Amino acid sequence: MGAQRPRRQRAARTHPLSPRRALAAPLLLLLLLAACVEPPTEPLGAPERVQVDDLELPTVAADSRERRAQEVTVRVRSLGCTQFGLGSGFLLPGGVVVTNRHVIEQPREVTISTWDGRSLPVRVAGVATDSDLALLDLAQEAELPVAELRTDPVDAGEQVLVAGYPGGGAVQLTPGEVLGFVDGTVLGEPSEVMRINVEVTQGSSGGPVLDSDGRVVGVIFAIEVDARVALAVPVDILLQRLDTEVLEAPDGC
Amino acid sequence: MQTEPGAESPPDITAAPRRGRRWPLVVLALLLLVAVGAAVSLGMVAADQRDAAAAWQDRAVALEVQRDEVADDAVRLGEQLDQAVASLRTSEADVATLEDRVRALAEEKARAEDTASTVAVERDVLIELTTVVSDAAGALDSCVTRLFALQEDSVEAFNAAAADRQVDVASLNQRAEEVTAFCDQARTAAAEAEAAAAQLRRS
Repeated sequence: MGAQRPRRQRAARTHPLSPRRALAAPLLLLLLLAACVEPPTEPLGAPERVQVDDLELPTVAADSRERRAQEVTVRVRSLGCTQFGLGSGFLLPGGVVVTNRHVIEQPREVTISTWDGRSLPVRVAGVATDSDLALLDLAQEAELPVAELRTDPVDAGEQVLVAGYPGGGAVQLTPGEVLGFVDGTVLGEPSEVMRINVEVTQGSSGGPVLDSDGRVVGVIFAIEVDARVALAVPVDILLQRLDTEVLEAPDGC
Repeated sequence: MQTEPGAESPPDITAAPRRGRRWPLVVLALLLLVAVGAAVSLGMVAADQRDAAAAWQDRAVALEVQRDEVADDAVRLGEQLDQAVASLRTSEADVATLEDRVRALAEEKARAEDTASTVAVERDVLIELTTVVSDAAGALDSCVTRLFALQEDSVEAFNAAAADRQVDVASLNQRAEEVTAFCDQARTAAAEAEAAAAQLRRS
């Protein structure tokens, strides 16, 4: 009996529950419990949107400014007393067509043609006496696209699009830039006229000058032959002349 | 057991060791109970956690399936979009070609109408000229007829005068003046027709 006592004491000394071990067990248990999670309760939602790179889509002609310009620009044919006139014009709401006065000198019969070949008779509503502008009225109702006039002033350097029927041919669209303004009184205009670096020919007269949004900012009426620069009546003159009270009947035969 | 007053009572040497021996048993029993309770609780928690783990695993698998489906959809939609873009590009090219054709036809039509208009004007001018020429020719023909009639009357008058018959010279002179005036008008009309024809030739 006396010989076993030290062994028991040694055993008791080698396996005591130290405070650290005593603390480790509940901590481990706590950690295990802390790691517990709830099962998923909410149903599986819709997947997140996938980020897609921008597509290289082709230009849709139907929405383009060029298509719009083509649609509102018309070819003007005038049978006069002594001459046959060909020019361009553009459509405005109310069946109004704007063109140049010199396109319809002494008109007997005036007809417009659309870009897709429709021909429509028009009446001369009046001509401006102090500007190369004339207004025509459609003789019959027609569903035609119309142009929008811009009321803001045009600045030099603006990019524009000139539409017309040069030489009486097919409709043609030519991009250009507003170079500036010159005195128009020598050309019979009441104020400054617009200079555009676009080469136009006979038949382009009366065609619209459109800004980047497709709004009309001027009407082609002449050309600087030496500089090959087109001249256009600013739209503010047109806006004033749209009041028919300041227009007169054209000369007869 | 009785003790004398003032004498110290001897300690109960039997009760203390018995309580001392029971206390560890109670503690042990309590510990055992706690351990059993903890084991049961842990077993329940473990079961719950197994279920939770299984649920999360199911969700992970479902998400994986969903991801694959979305990826497949993205690929399929991408292919469809590519096809749509290709079709749109082709359609736009077709539209541009057709518009060119429409413009060309419209120009042809407009030029034909120009020609028709000018031909109509020329026709009107020719009709007008024809009318003028026809009127002038008619007038000249009538002039000639009247001149023939006057000539016959004049010859008859000469014959009557030669036969010493009475001749109405005044009436004959008046007719001669009328025929001359009429023929002057016819010549004027003919001159105007000639001038109109000359102008048409110049234009």
